[in-house]
Amino acid sequence: MFEPFYEVINNVSKTVLKYEKEQGRPVVGVMPAYFPMELIDAAGGYAVQLWGNNLPLGKVDGYLQTYCCSVARSVLELELVGGAEMVKAYAFTSLCDTLINLREVYKRLFPKPTLEISIPMTQTRAARRSYLKSVIQSVVEGLEKVTRQKIRGDALAEAARIRGRSRELQRGLYKMRRQRPGLIKNKDFYAAIKTGFFLPPIVYNEMLETLHLGLDGLEDRGSKGPKLVISGLVFDPMEIYGILDELGVAVVDDDFANGWRTVSKDELRVGDLVEGVTEFIFNPAPCCCIYNPDNDRHPYLVDKVKDAGADGVLFWYIKFCEPDAFDRPQLMERLREESIPSVTIDVELSMTSFDAIKTRVNAFCEILEG
Amino acid sequence: MTEFKAFSKMKELMTNYYIEAKTTKEKPIAWITSGAPVEFLFAMDIIPIYPENYAAMCAANHQSVELMEAAEEAGFSQDICAYARTDFGADLTQGGPAGGLPPPHFLVCSTNICKTVIKWYEVVARKYNVPLFIVDTPFLHEGLNKDLIDYTVRQLKDLENFLSEFMGRPFDRERFYKVLALSQEAAEQWKKMLYLGKTMPSPFNSLDSFIHLGPIVTLRGTKECVDYYKLLYKEVAERAEKKIGSIPEEKYRVLWDNLPVWFKMRRLERFFEEKKCTLVVTTYANSWGGLGNHQTEAENDPYELLAASYLNVYINWGFEERIKYLAQLIEEFSLTGFIMHSNRSCKPYSVGMYRLQEELSRLTGRPGVVIEADQNDPRVYSDAQVETRLEAFIESMGSN
Repeated sequence: MFEPFYEVINNVSKTVLKYEKEQGRPVVGVMPAYFPMELIDAAGGYAVQLWGNNLPLGKVDGYLQTYCCSVARSVLELELVGGAEMVKAYAFTSLCDTLINLREVYKRLFPKPTLEISIPMTQTRAARRSYLKSVIQSVVEGLEKVTRQKIRGDALAEAARIRGRSRELQRGLYKMRRQRPGLIKNKDFYAAIKTGFFLPPIVYNEMLETLHLGLDGLEDRGSKGPKLVISGLVFDPMEIYGILDELGVAVVDDDFANGWRTVSKDELRVGDLVEGVTEFIFNPAPCCCIYNPDNDRHPYLVDKVKDAGADGVLFWYIKFCEPDAFDRPQLMERLREESIPSVTIDVELSMTSFDAIKTRVNAFCEILEG
Repeated sequence: MTEFKAFSKMKELMTNYYIEAKTTKEKPIAWITSGAPVEFLFAMDIIPIYPENYAAMCAANHQSVELMEAAEEAGFSQDICAYARTDFGADLTQGGPAGGLPPPHFLVCSTNICKTVIKWYEVVARKYNVPLFIVDTPFLHEGLNKDLIDYTVRQLKDLENFLSEFMGRPFDRERFYKVLALSQEAAEQWKKMLYLGKTMPSPFNSLDSFIHLGPIVTLRGTKECVDYYKLLYKEVAERAEKKIGSIPEEKYRVLWDNLPVWFKMRRLERFFEEKKCTLVVTTYANSWGGLGNHQTEAENDPYELLAASYLNVYINWGFEERIKYLAQLIEEFSLTGFIMHSNRSCKPYSVGMYRLQEELSRLTGRPGVVIEADQNDPRVYSDAQVETRLEAFIESMGSN
């Protein structure tokens, strides 16, 4: 049932080239996170999300220090080794200091255009609105230049509908996972979500619809192992899900930037695009990279664990991600107050040995199982 | 360090400042980032406290390791900014000089130095259960524009409302203009002093400017700050006139980019002196000189000028602007090379630095070197590695 998804994520270049050719749309590489890809779709571009990869890192050492996160390093490596030739432009958000500077590095190194949704981190609402309006205007103009196509209202509404449907279908998978733990293997689940990074949304939606039909007919397998919520930025490397599956762990929900934090977003409201994009960036799930005191991560995560009936939380820490690292100690403390056990694993996208992670997760499971 | 008589005055100023902050019963305390518009606080009689400065003091006093270890013990990763870790540790243990910082009544942070400060201040806000006001100053990828200025001005006006509400009285606009004038004057004095570095030999070096930064960061907007820099300027100008260099023999003149390595100041000073190399100018110390751009008369809309000043800081610039500025400094200060500190704790300063070095060398024909270090964490610093690289760099200047 999940083979078509693995076919995509194990052959990303081939897949992207195929659809680029078929659609005749310029590929826009989308950096982390929360760039409203509906704008790219409506401008006639082909949005491909770049959340890092597991390439061996070499050339990038001449451009980015080893203390930069492996998301930034591996994405730049991809371009440096010629693996991103099909990407015609890059779309950034000002998510963190590394990504902000990374855009500058791209501007110096490559002739490809770059765009950025500069996220206003102020609580002065009127200022936020007017600034975001100017940001969106500049991104729209930039995209139209890349694709040589104007963004029309009807195209944007259609793009919003299709992307909204993708996330709705993904939410269906999340719901199924919460309600029927163990039905979908962890690795299969994230293969299905990850596939959406690389496919035109309409193609992806068809795959998800088929998957839903298949899953609906399955009988529950049940799950005897611990039930976990995972929190982090990026849900790679996929090898770790193999370990979780092997240990009988059922991931019942997550708090990943490229997982639930994105999947939870409703259809982009295009009637008032500024309000729509504001809502899209700031809600409904809080993110460590987005300052939003009205949407506190602490009660949010506690509720998530309780709602999912999870036994504990696994913090999935991509090394050197400061926004994630700053939040974690207080979050863990809050979980302790609620008697919710948690553990952290340090991961790098390019890692090849997972023994230490296996040992750590195994020990955590043993504690949870008493 | 170069001996300046003014140093004792600075010590007195800074001591008084900390004593007042630690003992006040009347004035509220606000923790604030180094690049934030502190003028608003002085206008309302609020004492600004700079956790960054404090962390630097801890490192210069060789106390940062034990404090960072306390923070790490509490779960804070070694990957986060060492300033933040040092302060978290000081807060947890009430260690460090003067036994930690006085607790805040509220926090003000500006993103012109990094976005990371939001995370740092969120931790503090949660710990102390105090309000956090953010002045968001987006990165200038394509330079300043009206939208950015308008965005910042609106927030500054909102900051006034916030302060007024917090203090339970109207924002003191009249006093604010006076504070702005003092702030501008201090920044100008500071800049004027720094530009005496153009004299050959340079009458001071960048390690001196790092030490004498204290008042311009913490007391910008007070008369004491202006008086201090007038005093310092006079002394430095005298040395410049008499051609007294900061080191006995100046053969090389270089730029330092990024924060200092606070815990290695003395060793690096000896190293550079031995190599006859003066650190003449630094983008870091210069940043506060750039804050004097705002005008103070109400009819000139000081808010727009203030917003432009706080947006327009080196570390908030795109690389095109950075390279141009660095090249200009190299030319104006007759420099023989430049040193870039790849600072593990400061990503906005460091990410992309390798490329900047390459382009700047190509543009100016001057050699440059990148050293891998950290502003506050001695555990990720290697004397041998850094000095070997610096020696090779100095040799390359000799052969130019």
